[in-house]
Amino acid sequence: MKREKLVIVGNGMATTRLVEELVARRYEGDITILGDEDHPAYNRILLSAVLEGTHPIDALTLRQPDWYAAQGIDLRLGSRVLEIERELRDVMLVDGQKIVFDKLVLATGAIPTLPPIRGLIQLDGSLHPKVHAFRSLADTQRLLDAMEELSVESRPVRAVVVGGGLLGLQVARALSVRGVETEVVEGTEHLLSQQVDRKGGTVLKRHLKKLGTEVYTGARAIRLTDEGLKLDTGYTLDADLIVLTAGGRPSTALARGAGLTVRRGLVVGEHLQSVDDDNIFAIGDCAEFEGRVTGFVPPAWEQATLLAAHLSGEDVKYEGSRSVARLRATGLDVAVLGDPEHTEGDIVEVTNPIIGTHRKLVVDGNVIVAGTLIGDLSRIGLITQLFDRRTILSDTEPGELLMAERPDGDSSTLLPDEAEVCACAGVNAGRIRSCRTFEEAKEKTRATTGCGGCASVVRELIEAAHVPV
Amino acid sequence: MTTTTHCPYCSLQCGMKLSGTRKLEVSEWAEFPVNKGAMCRKGWTSAELLHHRERLTTPLIKEPTGEFRPASWEEALDYVGERLNGLRAQHGPDSIGIFGGGGLTNEKAYQLGKFARVAVGTSQIDYNGRWCMSSAANAGSRAFGVDRGLPFPLADIAEADVLILVGSNLAETMPPAARHLVESREKGHHVVVIDPRRTATADKADTFLQPVPGTDLALAQSLLHLIVANGHVDEEYVASRTTGWEAVKNSVMSWWPERGERVTGIPASELKELADLVGTAEKVMILTARGPEQQAQGSDTVLAWINIALALGMQGKEHSGYGCLTGQGNGQGGREHGQKSDQLPGYRMIDDPAAREHVAGVWGIPAESIPGKGRSAYELLDALGQDNGPKALLVFGSNIIVSAPNANHVGERLDALELLVVADMVMSETAARADVILPITQWAEETGTMTNLEGRVILRQRAITPPAGVRSDLEIIEGLAERLKSPIAFSVEPEEIFAELGRASAGGKADYSGITYDLIREQKGVFWPAPAGVIGTDGHVGTERMFTESFATPSGRANFIAVEHRGAAEQPDAEYPVHLTTGRVLAQYQSGAQTRRIRDLTDDGAFVEMHPMLATRLGTADGELVRVETRRGEMVAPVRVVRTIRPDTVFVPFHWVGANKLTNDALDPASRMPEFKVCAARVSEAAKVNGQVVVA
Repeated sequence: MKREKLVIVGNGMATTRLVEELVARRYEGDITILGDEDHPAYNRILLSAVLEGTHPIDALTLRQPDWYAAQGIDLRLGSRVLEIERELRDVMLVDGQKIVFDKLVLATGAIPTLPPIRGLIQLDGSLHPKVHAFRSLADTQRLLDAMEELSVESRPVRAVVVGGGLLGLQVARALSVRGVETEVVEGTEHLLSQQVDRKGGTVLKRHLKKLGTEVYTGARAIRLTDEGLKLDTGYTLDADLIVLTAGGRPSTALARGAGLTVRRGLVVGEHLQSVDDDNIFAIGDCAEFEGRVTGFVPPAWEQATLLAAHLSGEDVKYEGSRSVARLRATGLDVAVLGDPEHTEGDIVEVTNPIIGTHRKLVVDGNVIVAGTLIGDLSRIGLITQLFDRRTILSDTEPGELLMAERPDGDSSTLLPDEAEVCACAGVNAGRIRSCRTFEEAKEKTRATTGCGGCASVVRELIEAAHVPV
Repeated sequence: MTTTTHCPYCSLQCGMKLSGTRKLEVSEWAEFPVNKGAMCRKGWTSAELLHHRERLTTPLIKEPTGEFRPASWEEALDYVGERLNGLRAQHGPDSIGIFGGGGLTNEKAYQLGKFARVAVGTSQIDYNGRWCMSSAANAGSRAFGVDRGLPFPLADIAEADVLILVGSNLAETMPPAARHLVESREKGHHVVVIDPRRTATADKADTFLQPVPGTDLALAQSLLHLIVANGHVDEEYVASRTTGWEAVKNSVMSWWPERGERVTGIPASELKELADLVGTAEKVMILTARGPEQQAQGSDTVLAWINIALALGMQGKEHSGYGCLTGQGNGQGGREHGQKSDQLPGYRMIDDPAAREHVAGVWGIPAESIPGKGRSAYELLDALGQDNGPKALLVFGSNIIVSAPNANHVGERLDALELLVVADMVMSETAARADVILPITQWAEETGTMTNLEGRVILRQRAITPPAGVRSDLEIIEGLAERLKSPIAFSVEPEEIFAELGRASAGGKADYSGITYDLIREQKGVFWPAPAGVIGTDGHVGTERMFTESFATPSGRANFIAVEHRGAAEQPDAEYPVHLTTGRVLAQYQSGAQTRRIRDLTDDGAFVEMHPMLATRLGTADGELVRVETRRGEMVAPVRVVRTIRPDTVFVPFHWVGANKLTNDALDPASRMPEFKVCAARVSEAAKVNGQVVVA
């Protein structure tokens, strides 16, 4: 039998997971990966950690090229696809080479959008030297190099981050941790406006201010000049670096060119297949399922796992993903569960702007369907578990989850007589109190002769019981 | 007269003195290095069972009516021999299964393995140690080339700068060991405990992490991710003493802390703090116990923690490195001498032609007559009474019906047998189902060696004459071997058997050939490997600390092995919404057949531990009866409301019939360990009919 030819366009994190899962399932077919970057697949999530300096840039690689070779996978780096020819069942690379497929997976990710700021693009069509995107390893390297160059000057480096979304805040904190004087410009009325409400945004703004980062909300950058970045509020921000994080859009040009249905992303069905072509699939940021594109790694990985199962002949259906977005930034604690601003349900919330916390759970049918946690993530491990597993809670639980845990300290001398003091020997406080000395307690009750952990309590009890009145 | 011996329970094998002739008194043996005289209440009260009124002192044969009648030893052994001979003639030797235990002495474990392979000729032998530390054993063998629970003396744990206990509640399961935690903290060292419950052990820790049950592997991956990111890998050690690092390094790249947080339920901030702590410490020690090991991904989980020990350059370094806290009294020795389905004495593999030749030479039989690999413990039980499975089962040192997972199913399999023979000292739940019960001697009534959790071979010495009517397991094996027309004779003298065991183990991984009873008395225990004629650097026979120079792999290097988190086999869903985990309590040991019969050990029965938030959700309260159900079975027990457990998890101790009706029989692909530690459960108010709780 002829082996199936599977071609994957894009070599990001979704693709890595897809091929790992295919290998784990012993998928029988020839796999070709076409990646336009020259670098092997890397962990994009950690780029802001690299910028911050908490992660080495050379340790981002997910799989070395020899791994692909060992699995018999044809990995082609630096291969940009020009078009998909659906009738011919092939894809054509920019160098004219054609690669035939039986099944095609588009994992092309997203591309950053350029905000409408005059002066971003120079007359020759290139980006202004001060301006940086932040999407790829190359972008990160370029930004790091620029910081390095600027650091030789005696004054501090100044940066403006355009966009107050998750990525923007991560980049702003990373730059700030590196000693760069950083300001954030956000066009909407508050930070993280896609994910959190106004109260949350306000708490975050105060946090950033405390951390030394000025935030301009409701302000649009309109022009980059020699004086700096001009805002529509009249301010001009002087900056050495302008980092654009103002969103991205699914990379769908190939799909569009092939005549596949594209709305925001390539529209896919329950097997992640294009609604027009059962042999073309999309996963990750470029896919749109039930009107949603995700933009996060965990759902992309869930899609990759499901698609691997489908391609391996398993009977599985995609039902959407639950996402938890976490801000990876030192000093800013934010988690967003699902889509709290656009999900129906009862809202249970606790906000304390004095200490900078804002936590809210959206509850529907006693299930947490969305949530925001800002400034206090002490219960995040439990809350995300309950969210992910759709656990049905009691009426009071959502509230309790947002309360501080009760401390349960005690003083040994106040222990009731029946309280167990030495678990090893099974001795209660009363029996200890009946002894006159530590040695006697040890001899008579065998307390302290096991793990020895109760020795201090036994001493305290005996001393307290024999204090002369 | 005073005899020095060891406690009959856990793998610590605390030294103790027994004195008196009729009624034995337990007193401290302060000179024994492992516990220095300390004992828990199980040890102090252990002599009580010797004269217990429930002690069996005559063989019993079950009548067709289901009642037991006393029989003479001759009659009982003749009966068993005749039935076994009949089955063997009709269905072949594999129709006879043998089930051993991790509490048996080395001599018994050795004789039992030999009895199976030579006297019976069956491949169908395994033991309950498979359910104890087999995952750690498998991982240790793959990473280091050898499996010795602790590759260093227990006392070393107080010397480590950072001690991480993964899923060990040693303060309750082996209380005298917790002295080292207290000592460690007194020295200003840092103790980390990882457990879904804040146990008595966690209360002694500086750092406590409370993961979702079944996610210890993901936790380790995230930790190693951060260690790499922080630049804390010991590159020189990795380059000179290990292989396979690149693949492991790549595999942890996708475990950034926020992903770890989502899977493990441990906040990323806590993961980062722990990574900083271990990354900057001079000496880091990591010990796993049943928590991470009794999972369907148990051996991979242990490997993930071993990878951390290797990346930090700790394995083989003084007062550092990875170790496993073995559970059962002779869990270590029990897995070295041939009662495991795939092994021959000396930790030799049964499918290794050289190993077969060597052992056959010692036994005086042709190598080809030794059967091949048999089924692992749970698979053996699962096959009982099936077409290709054993039709008879001989049980030594195990109370299967309480300790096996998916106990309802195991009960059905036992019932499908044509013959069940149980050697036990009391009427355990498993003995009660037997066709023949053979009453045996107890620890203080016999002599033999045990190998404790440190790989220290110690001597259990006879302190009292056994009651009339009981025999030792060794005598039973001898009696049955004779009736099965064994081509070779079986000794009943422990010291003689030990010498033979030494010869059989010579040149193997667990080499005992240089050890004698006298040497054990003199050195207060001898650490294996102890090849004959080799004196260690400290003038002692044996190897106190392993891996200081090289590993037991062919290359002499430790193997990094890349692993991936798969998660528990059964995840909570709408029908079974909470995690169930199981474990031990201080006053009881294993199936409780011994400890539940001791007056001074509190026996309040099973209970269901849960967080107040969950209790509120279920509408129950402390002390009320609830029903816990899984896809396999159910039990009813009172609720214990505690703030120390994760609110998404319930805990049930397994010493009583019940907990293991619930547990999952999903097996680890490498170690064949069942997933005792996590499954999905439903808890509800126990329904009452006419005021009585209905139990299925």
